[in-house]
Amino acid sequence: MRPTLLLFICMFSANVFGQWALTGRVTDQNEIPLIGASVQEKNNTTNGTVTDADGRFELILSESAQAVVISFTGFAAKEVVISRATSDLSVSLEEDVSLLNEVLVIGYGNSSKRNLTDNVALLHSEDLSNIAVSNFQSTMSGKAAGVRINQTSGKVDAGINVTIRGTSSISAGREPLYVLDGMPLINVNESSNGAPMNPLLTLSPSEIESINILKDASSAAIYGARGANGVVLITTKKGQAGKPVVSLNMSTGISSPTNVIELLNTAEYKELFTEAAINTLGPEDGTAEIEGLFDYLANGTDWRNNEVDTDWNDIIFRDGQQSDVDLAVSGGDLKTQYYFGGAWNTTKGILVGNDLDRISARMNIKHQLSQKIAAGMNIGVSGAKIERVDNDNSFTSPVEAIAQSPLSPVYNDDGTPNANTLYPNFLLEDLYANYTTKLRRITGKVFAEYKFIENFRFNTDFGYDNSHQTEDQYRGTLTPFMSTNGYAYNSNVTSENYIWSNYFTYENELSRSAFLTVVAGQEFNNSNRVFATVTGTQFPSDDFQSISSAAEITAGTGANTTYNFLSYFARAALNLHDKYYLKASIRRDGSSRFGSNERYGFFPAFSVGWIVSEESFLKNNRTLSFLKVRGSFGQLGNSEIGDYASQTLYNGVSYNKISGIRLEQPGNNNLTWEKSKQIDLGVEFGLFNDVITGEVDFYTKNTDGLLFSVPLPGSSGQLSFNKNIGNVESKGVEVVLNSKNIRSKNLQWTTSFNIANNTNEIKSLPNGNADIITGETINRVGESVASFFLPEFAGADPATGDALYYTNGAGSATTNAYEDANRVIVGNSQPTWIGGLTNEINFKGLVLSFTFIGEWGASIFNGGGVYQSSSADYFDNQTIDQLDRWQNPGDITNVPQARLYGQNGTGPSTRYLQKGDFIRLRNVMLSYNLPKSLTEKVNVGNARIFISGVNLLTFTQYTGYDPEARADFDNYGFDNGWNFYSAPQAKTTSIGINVNF
Amino acid sequence: MLIFNYNMLKKIIMKNQFLYILTLLALIFLPACDDRLDVEPTLSISEETALSSAASVSKLLVGAYEIDGNAYSHGGYIQIYSDLLGADQEVSWNGTFFEPREALTKEMNAINFLFEDSWRYTYKVISQSNLVLGHLDVFTEDAEKARVEGEARFLRALNYFDLVRLFGNDVQGVPLRLDPITDYGSDLSISRSATSDVYAAILDDLSKAISLLPEDNDVYADRFAALALLSRVQLYLGHYTEARDAADEIIATSGKSLSPTFADAFNHDEDGDEDIYAMQVTSQSGENQLIQMYASEENGGRGGDISINQPYLDLFDDSNDERSQFFYENAKGDRLSGKYTNQFGNVPMFRLAEMILIRAESNFRLGTTTGASPVDDINSLRQRSSAAPLVDVTLNDILLERQRELAFEGFGIYDIKRTQSSVAGLSYDSPKLVMPIPQTEMDTNPLMEQNEGY
Repeated sequence: MRPTLLLFICMFSANVFGQWALTGRVTDQNEIPLIGASVQEKNNTTNGTVTDADGRFELILSESAQAVVISFTGFAAKEVVISRATSDLSVSLEEDVSLLNEVLVIGYGNSSKRNLTDNVALLHSEDLSNIAVSNFQSTMSGKAAGVRINQTSGKVDAGINVTIRGTSSISAGREPLYVLDGMPLINVNESSNGAPMNPLLTLSPSEIESINILKDASSAAIYGARGANGVVLITTKKGQAGKPVVSLNMSTGISSPTNVIELLNTAEYKELFTEAAINTLGPEDGTAEIEGLFDYLANGTDWRNNEVDTDWNDIIFRDGQQSDVDLAVSGGDLKTQYYFGGAWNTTKGILVGNDLDRISARMNIKHQLSQKIAAGMNIGVSGAKIERVDNDNSFTSPVEAIAQSPLSPVYNDDGTPNANTLYPNFLLEDLYANYTTKLRRITGKVFAEYKFIENFRFNTDFGYDNSHQTEDQYRGTLTPFMSTNGYAYNSNVTSENYIWSNYFTYENELSRSAFLTVVAGQEFNNSNRVFATVTGTQFPSDDFQSISSAAEITAGTGANTTYNFLSYFARAALNLHDKYYLKASIRRDGSSRFGSNERYGFFPAFSVGWIVSEESFLKNNRTLSFLKVRGSFGQLGNSEIGDYASQTLYNGVSYNKISGIRLEQPGNNNLTWEKSKQIDLGVEFGLFNDVITGEVDFYTKNTDGLLFSVPLPGSSGQLSFNKNIGNVESKGVEVVLNSKNIRSKNLQWTTSFNIANNTNEIKSLPNGNADIITGETINRVGESVASFFLPEFAGADPATGDALYYTNGAGSATTNAYEDANRVIVGNSQPTWIGGLTNEINFKGLVLSFTFIGEWGASIFNGGGVYQSSSADYFDNQTIDQLDRWQNPGDITNVPQARLYGQNGTGPSTRYLQKGDFIRLRNVMLSYNLPKSLTEKVNVGNARIFISGVNLLTFTQYTGYDPEARADFDNYGFDNGWNFYSAPQAKTTSIGINVNF
Repeated sequence: MLIFNYNMLKKIIMKNQFLYILTLLALIFLPACDDRLDVEPTLSISEETALSSAASVSKLLVGAYEIDGNAYSHGGYIQIYSDLLGADQEVSWNGTFFEPREALTKEMNAINFLFEDSWRYTYKVISQSNLVLGHLDVFTEDAEKARVEGEARFLRALNYFDLVRLFGNDVQGVPLRLDPITDYGSDLSISRSATSDVYAAILDDLSKAISLLPEDNDVYADRFAALALLSRVQLYLGHYTEARDAADEIIATSGKSLSPTFADAFNHDEDGDEDIYAMQVTSQSGENQLIQMYASEENGGRGGDISINQPYLDLFDDSNDERSQFFYENAKGDRLSGKYTNQFGNVPMFRLAEMILIRAESNFRLGTTTGASPVDDINSLRQRSSAAPLVDVTLNDILLERQRELAFEGFGIYDIKRTQSSVAGLSYDSPKLVMPIPQTEMDTNPLMEQNEGY
């Protein structure tokens, strides 16, 4: 690495022979001994030791030893020249406070932040741990600029949408690629009940050491055809040389919904619906009709005297509970490092009937066999059991119970759920049915590294990911819509992913001022999914719930699908004078998913960086301590369109138990990757000796050849045709600011802030730029992806109480005829601004940290509005605002006259559209490090107690349950921006303790 | 000395390094693994396999029935639209979703996704039938070839007939495609054919189907099914002689007979005595949307989305008429039809009772008594349901008898249009009684023209 230095040492030590011992002591800059610091003979990595409790070490050195390298996490490593004459070496390491020296994982290698020409966000385990959420994705919320984490709803198993730099695709997948320790993870939702489940729920946040998010093309292009939506690199915890560390974390907390919406009580319900019935049917018929219904709803109770007044919110929500315990042991010596740990999570969801139990274990081990060969293995196993509730669009989904009338008793006198409600009582489903999903996951890899010479090595990684899920559903004879004496559904799906990567890394100093790193390799990925279900009916009684007791097996399905990827990649990075950086990478991917004519894709990327502050004119500038400008360009792919998207497919079907086949999908041999070209320009700076650091990035992302299910005319008999067509351009700005506000001995205060803007514009579309309208949203050239396209609601006609609409958008003439109101673009389902603000204040070991997140610019369409805020169109209980209805000529209100069956303003319009802007205290934690004097007495290294909260405060104008809740069936939530009886997020307060032995 | 050695060493290593790289790169990169990217699906077969053998083309035909039995086509929605469009106060829509209600209130919208799905599924049957008809040369055996062709023509005619009646008016029909589409990537725009051209194609298919089909063909369309459809088409077109003769041939020669009781005519697991043709439903395949919309939760429905009101009962003239009592109540006290109570029962498409009614009406209109006199035909149905026989009949009696016998089986709006009467204050030729061309078709097919009023 530094041949001149080596030569220099060689000349002076050539005549010295035989082994000898070196002793010494390692401390920090304040002379505090560092325990477990590694001391290694230079150029002989197998020879080393670690410091003891006093920071002391003794190391037997080889005859040729000229220097030792001393390193410790969080401190800058130091190389010390030694000789036989050195006695009792004393070394003090400098704390490495600069974020710029942090090592980032960038895919097939590492880089320091300083040397990087890419936009990569880094999150540490400290950022992610002790947040009372059951999935690791939610812990990232608000911590990385331009990364939006949206959990669909407050169900414990709810699907998660992670969007990096906004949406740039219309039909293809939009989730980033997750890579765990170098291995792409299976991230396919396999839920059968209509609501997506988070497939990565099996990964415990406690296993994670760091998460690197590759946001720009230059960093993600090394993942080629799968990098277009960004890449999330997860690194699991590893052992450090040194004496074993046992760490134990325990926490427990309680949760409740962030918000509930207010509905009519019995008196209000009776008032509004009596009025609505009279308005439609006249005083006599109206009263008769509605009182007949009240009689039915009240189920024998005295509704005239308000005997029953049910708030169904109280029935569907409960106090949730979450407990976490994890225990890990790590350590090792310089040759072998190990980490093993286990974690347990049990979450009782805020929705009745929704629970999660997860247990996971991980072992990571690495061994240096010789100077040249290192090998190891990581393995993680986990199992999760989830009790699920129905999707939002099911009558028996808990939240749909808010449609029930307050007149209806919840239970009968004997304590069983009342079945005579307006809609099926979800408690019948809760009580007499179950839907249990079990996830089991094994992610493992064996890896080896061979060093031909010091600066040239070969890595081979063989990874295996197995995701296995079973679903067991039984619906008993007393459940709603039961006509078959019981119903059982079992599914079993196994997805396996093998990935074998081989790559060479060459790092060498070409000359005194030029340092070159080259990585080149190949990867083969085979993914296979086997799926089977069976459905049975006619059970002897509810005591028999196994499918083998079903007298009739009514359905069975099976599938076996495969896709392969074959990839070659190379990357070269050149560092000139530690000032100028050049990087180029290329990946060639072949995928079985694409047409035989267009199977391979090339994904190149280039980037440059210039550390301006190293130039003489800025070198000693006291204000601007660091300045780097960088720029990158790259092309990425998106291949997420299903396994056989290019082929003409005929599927087997059955008619009267006779088999048949039918054309399922017309093929396209020219189908290929969706390609996105990205340009990123960034500035990184440090002010006042890096007390304030920051990053500003501008980017554009031009996605071409959009993978598109082009809608076909129905008269062709087919729904759609997969084609590469259309173009979307998105652009954005990201700003990150980190500040060390106070750095005194007793008080430290840091702030980090990020904000990102992302907008997109459709540049071209299939069928001659024809609009694509799906439900309430439109894709139109010149507009954003999935813009809301609705008639503008104009409130109630003061003269008649009719719902009014603008004929051509706000401000135009109004009409009471819905069909005469033209739809206009009135918002977007995706936010334009997202941001996060984290503060950490440490006062003598008492640490307060909190993170606010915010989103602006998204609108939410209440798909349930037509039922729950409908001017009493049907008997669903109404939101409290419906009391402000028009009653008399001259009334000025936004709520049209109440008309039972009147459809007065119930057509989809901006009446049901709201801004979803919010600021939320995502997490807050107050922790206290117990003083050493106390912990030493009980033989504990260090101990910390904490109290933490998630979603404790929300600031929003949104009147629905929660601006972070979206519909969880089909694509209504993400694509169409729907909320539909979607459960609010959980608000959790927990206490816990971290102990290290 | 050492310096020299080191440099030598370095040079050798450097040299070898490139050698290493070259050899190893070659090892990894040279073997082309392209074949690993040829992954064949296991659930599906390719175009070549599907269209190249007699065995697979006859399976395509079974697939066409499967599509036709879908909820959106003849699994129920097609029948439901006709009955909701043809009703006013006779039925109520109680379902929570408003799409079917639009047909009842005659306030239909082009964005109604149910109408769109039905449009698409009927065309899907036509498209699959075209695929079969385009590959008949794979059959070597004449009888099999004739049967397959006859069935495919029957299915195509059946679907065009419903499409043109629901979405077409007197002049403008629906797009007529009679050949398979070979390239879905090409321009698939197509304009509406004249209504007369659509009927010409239907009649051509049916006359061929009648001559090609065997008299007995398991649960699939046979010669009598094609004759029954022909009879229905000719009646609709006002060609009473042809309608009468086709109906009479079925009554005389098919061997079908009226079920002993009215209740026996419905809710069959297997086709009954008077079923000429029915969509097959089992607990494992087929869909019965009529159950979904008409039946209580206990009977496998949504609880009674469509309930029957007094104005329908007022059509009956004899309180002993079993058909006037063929109802039951759900938990809310709504009156539900007894025609749909078997969750996995077949969906009747052509019953002998309809043929008797067609023969009676045609004979009456023509002043003939082919097969039987109109009054005898009508009384045969009345007697089966314990209603007092009539002494003589008027045209109105015959049409009323149709409603008593065939209600909720998909005849509603067609009988109103055919007899030029009115519903809910709308004349038979009101544009409000013609369904809108689905918005998706308008958006994807530039040659398409929307119906009046949408």
